[in-house]
Amino acid sequence: MLILDRLYDLTWRRVRELGAVAILARAVVARMVTPPLAFGEVVRQIEVMGLRSTNLAAVIALFTGMVLALQTAHTLALFGAKLFIGEVVAFSLVRELGPVLTSLMVGGRVGAGITAELGSMTVSEQVDALRSLGADPIRKLVVPRMWALLIGLPLLVVLANATGIFGGMLIASWELDLSPGLYFSRATRLLTYGDYFSGLAKSVFFAFAIGLIASYNGLQARGGADGVGTATTNTVVAIAITVLTLDFFLTKLFLVL
Amino acid sequence: MVSVRDVHKSFGRKPVLRGVDLEVRRGETIVVLGGSGSGKSVLLKHVNGLLQPDRGEVEVLGCAVSRLGDIDLVELRRRVSYIFQSGALFDSLTVGENVAFSLMEGDGRDRAAVAARVGELLARVGLAGSEGLWPADLSGGMRKRVAIARGLALRPEVILYDEPTAGLDPLTGLAISRLIHEVRDETGATSVVVTHDLTLARELGGRIAFLDAGRFAFVGDLQDAAASPGAVGEFVRAGGVHAGT
Repeated sequence: MLILDRLYDLTWRRVRELGAVAILARAVVARMVTPPLAFGEVVRQIEVMGLRSTNLAAVIALFTGMVLALQTAHTLALFGAKLFIGEVVAFSLVRELGPVLTSLMVGGRVGAGITAELGSMTVSEQVDALRSLGADPIRKLVVPRMWALLIGLPLLVVLANATGIFGGMLIASWELDLSPGLYFSRATRLLTYGDYFSGLAKSVFFAFAIGLIASYNGLQARGGADGVGTATTNTVVAIAITVLTLDFFLTKLFLVL
Repeated sequence: MVSVRDVHKSFGRKPVLRGVDLEVRRGETIVVLGGSGSGKSVLLKHVNGLLQPDRGEVEVLGCAVSRLGDIDLVELRRRVSYIFQSGALFDSLTVGENVAFSLMEGDGRDRAAVAARVGELLARVGLAGSEGLWPADLSGGMRKRVAIARGLALRPEVILYDEPTAGLDPLTGLAISRLIHEVRDETGATSVVVTHDLTLARELGGRIAFLDAGRFAFVGDLQDAAASPGAVGEFVRAGGVHAGT
C-alpha cells in the first residue's frame, strides 16, 4: 500500500506540474504577442545566451561533422561509395544532429543559467518584489529570455550546420582525398528547402521548450542556494529528455508533411 | 482600510493560518507579533495579494483582494507598499534604479522628475547620493533603507513591513524603527508591521496583534499583552516588556 500511495503521489505531482507548465506556456505566449516588449532586454539576452554560446556550438558541430565523416567514410568505403560522404554528412547535420546537439548543449548551458538566475531571484523574494511593485514577472523576466532563445537558437543551429559540414570537408579532404569543391557540391546538391526548414523548425520548438522548462523551474525554486541548485539540475535533465522526446515526434511529423 | 476575515491558509498538509481576523483602521499602525514560523509573513502576503487564502476574505482599501483581476491587482499594489524582510532589492539594478522602478513602470516617465524624486527619497532615508551604488555594496541596514525608499516612491496609502529590523544590530534596528515612525507621521499611511522585535513594537506604539497557532491570540495594547496569561504574556515579558514599565 505504501508503494501504491507513493506512486499515486508521484503521478499526481507530475500531472499537476504538467498543468502548471501548460498554464505558464499560455501566459508566456499571451504576453509575447502583446505589447509592451522590452526590446533592449531581448537584445541583451540574445548577447548573453546566443553570442556567448557560439564557441560552444561551433566546437561541438565541428567535431561532430568530423567524427560523422570518419565513421561514414569507413562504412561507405566497404561499398565503394565514398563519394556520398558529402550527402550523408549534410543530411545528418541539417535534418538531425545540428538542431538536436546544439539544443542539447546550448540548451543545457542557457537553461541552467536561466533557472539559476530566476531561481535566485525567487528565493531572495525579488520576484515577489516585482509583483508587489505592480510589475509582471512573466513579462519582465520570461518573455525577453524566450524571444532571445527563439531568435538565437535557430541562428546557432545555422552556424552549427555550416561548421559541421566544414568539419566533414576536412576529413573528406584529408582521409579520402576528395576535393573541397566536389565535397561541397555533393553536400548541397540534394538538400532541399524542406530539409533546412525541418531542422530550423525543430530548433524553434526546442527553444520554446528550453525557455519554458528553465523559467518554470526558476520561478518554482524554493529554499536557499540548495533549492536553486536542485532546480538547475532538474532543468538540465528535463531539457535533455524533452529535446530528445520532442525530436522523435517532430521527425515523425516532418516526414509525414 | 485593511480587513482580514476568517483567513485560512495551508501549504501542502501543513496549516499555517487557521481563521485569522483583523481590522486595521485608516492611518493606524498595528504591529503583528509572533514567534518564528507563526505565519506572520504569510498573513502579510495575503494583504497585497502575493498569496491567496484557501478560505476567508481579505479586503484592502475597499477591494476584495482575492476577487481582483490582474489589472486591478496591479493598481491596488501601487497603493499598497510591501517592504520585504531581506529588502529584496533587484541585484541587477543600482540603488537609484531600484528606487525608480515603480516610477518608471507607470505612465508619463519624465526622467528628470523621476531622478529628482529618487534623490528626495534617498535623502529621506539618509542615503543621499547613493544612486550609483549596487545592492551588493550595501550593508543590511542600508538595504532596508533603500527598500523603504523604494516602497515610498508611489506615496502608498498602506505600507506593509515584513520584519524590518531582522538581522540588524540594535543601533541600526533602532534607527530603522525611528525611520518607520517618522514615515508614518509624515505620510499618514496605514502601517502593518510584522516583527518579533519588541523594541520596534514599543517604539511604534499603537495596537499589537499576537499570532499564535494560526490565530490571533491577543489584539490590544502592549502593556495589556505583558499582563496577559499564556503565550502572549510569556512572549512579551521574555522580550523585556513588563506590565507597568
